[in-house]
Amino acid sequence: MSGPAAKTIEGPALVMGDNVNTDELHPSRFFSLDDAKVREGFMQANADYNRLGQTDLSGRIILAGENFGCGSSRETGARVFVLAGIKAVVARSIARIFGRNTRNLGLPTLECPDLPEHLENGLGVRIDLDRWTLRLGSSENELPLKSLDPYWKEVIAKGGLMSFLGFKEA
Amino acid sequence: MKPQTLVEKIFAKKVKEPIVPGSAYFQVPVDLVLGHDATVALLIERFRKTGRHIWDPSRCFFAADHFAPPSTPERADILNRYLGFVKEESVPQEQLFRGISHQLLIEDRRCRPGMVICGADSHTVMAGATGCFATGLGSTDIMAVLLTGKAILPVPETIRVEIDGRLPPWLFGKDLALEIIRRIGEGGAVDRVFEYEDNAGLSMDGRFTVSNMSVEAGATAGIFVPDGILENYLERRDGNLRQDEDDWLLPDPEARYAHEMLIDVENVPPLVALPGGLDRIVPAGEVEGQRVDQIFIGSCAGGRIEDLAIAARVLKGRRVAPGVRLVVTPASQTIYAECLKNGIFQTLTEAGAMITNSSCGACGGIDKGLIGAGEVCLSTSNRNFRGRMGSPEGLIYLASPLTAAAAAVRGTLTDPRDIFEEVRKSA
Repeated sequence: MSGPAAKTIEGPALVMGDNVNTDELHPSRFFSLDDAKVREGFMQANADYNRLGQTDLSGRIILAGENFGCGSSRETGARVFVLAGIKAVVARSIARIFGRNTRNLGLPTLECPDLPEHLENGLGVRIDLDRWTLRLGSSENELPLKSLDPYWKEVIAKGGLMSFLGFKEA
Repeated sequence: MKPQTLVEKIFAKKVKEPIVPGSAYFQVPVDLVLGHDATVALLIERFRKTGRHIWDPSRCFFAADHFAPPSTPERADILNRYLGFVKEESVPQEQLFRGISHQLLIEDRRCRPGMVICGADSHTVMAGATGCFATGLGSTDIMAVLLTGKAILPVPETIRVEIDGRLPPWLFGKDLALEIIRRIGEGGAVDRVFEYEDNAGLSMDGRFTVSNMSVEAGATAGIFVPDGILENYLERRDGNLRQDEDDWLLPDPEARYAHEMLIDVENVPPLVALPGGLDRIVPAGEVEGQRVDQIFIGSCAGGRIEDLAIAARVLKGRRVAPGVRLVVTPASQTIYAECLKNGIFQTLTEAGAMITNSSCGACGGIDKGLIGAGEVCLSTSNRNFRGRMGSPEGLIYLASPLTAAAAAVRGTLTDPRDIFEEVRKSA
């Protein structure tokens, strides 16, 4: 789906809270086989996002709290992140199916247990996938990312599960 | 050998190499793949591009429950694409349009202890009440299973939940599910498996609800330790089909758990989840008087015979409060037929309920019972997320079928124990 992941990912933050669920991230009325309609549903029932207004979030990195992406297995809720141009997701913890779904599509979805609370939208984020660290804004401090199992590192490096398994998709 | 939990036993039987609980990943052969019209439709185009076929169509348990019947032309198109794929891949069709996939699965003799089941839906975990490992996955993961017959999974650590005490007649599986989530937290079981040891004698219908809602605490699966109650259920379901002793797996007494929890059912009141997530769960009495506009009794978490029967008991000779709509959606056509036969539908209809066909319906915000801005719905389903049943400005409370029926009569949320006492005396 997306190409092999870069080793360094940079972008402005989009900050979200704890227990943000799939119905907020992508309400079921946007469930569709049409990418344009799926894209339209991005975060439509999330109050934080609604407050931001309709801004183009392509190139952003999500910074979130605990249990990000809990709820449904509907993969439209993961695919919409790729369609919206989100570069990576970092949360204090990630719900299991959401983590699998996004990584299976080649999106780096990572855990950073030390991620501070009360972060600002637009804050510069730099992810280093060689050293497994995260840097926020102009801070020199590096926050450690929770290491992923080698299986997931390879899936992300290959750009998703299907190419990891050697199936052609195009 | 090192003592093992139930999920470790199941994985050890399926995987050839020695298993390590925690984060390492294994190729796990899958016994059964659950799918439905929504999430399988998402993978069809990519599946066809591989030029391959399903590894074993006889192991596919495919239902049509989301867009069944479809409510928009687009959904009809999605459904038709799915039906085309089912035929093209020679997948058995007898489950299509028979009800909610998760309910159909546990009504089927292929759903048995000791199995590994993967489903393209998070509530696949419900089948764990039959002593199997059942987990939900997204469409890409399921596509890989359909192509290879294997899922790539870690062996999760186990949280043991012991359910003890004398079960009060007004307490339901939903109350216990909410109590477990209240205690462990909405994400408290992520990447872990619940192992339920039930000494309180919950009904199978109640256990299905507890297993179903394991995923609302983030769990990979929720497995009940097989016992006499399961044995009776399987006997009733399958006739004298012999149980394979090798599959009747039990945890070792000395097994090590990541966490242990004791639920005394005598200390659990009827509970309600407040709108917006499963992170605020309170006794029903604390929201006494809250107005309701709609009651939904249905879904894979609250549309079984036990749920509909208690609703009928409460509503017998009573009426749904004026202006309140009560939507009832039996989880499968087997349940539907039973309700026709035993008078449950007669009672509910006379009380003013609206009965819909067996499908996911209002639960996923699909059809027949969506809510508008400012409306309040009390639902026996599993999720109260913002916008799940329609408008993001609508509010969804979750509770047991008894609490739901009591609210239907009163028109407000209430601790159902008073009404239950009235019902019991008048019976």
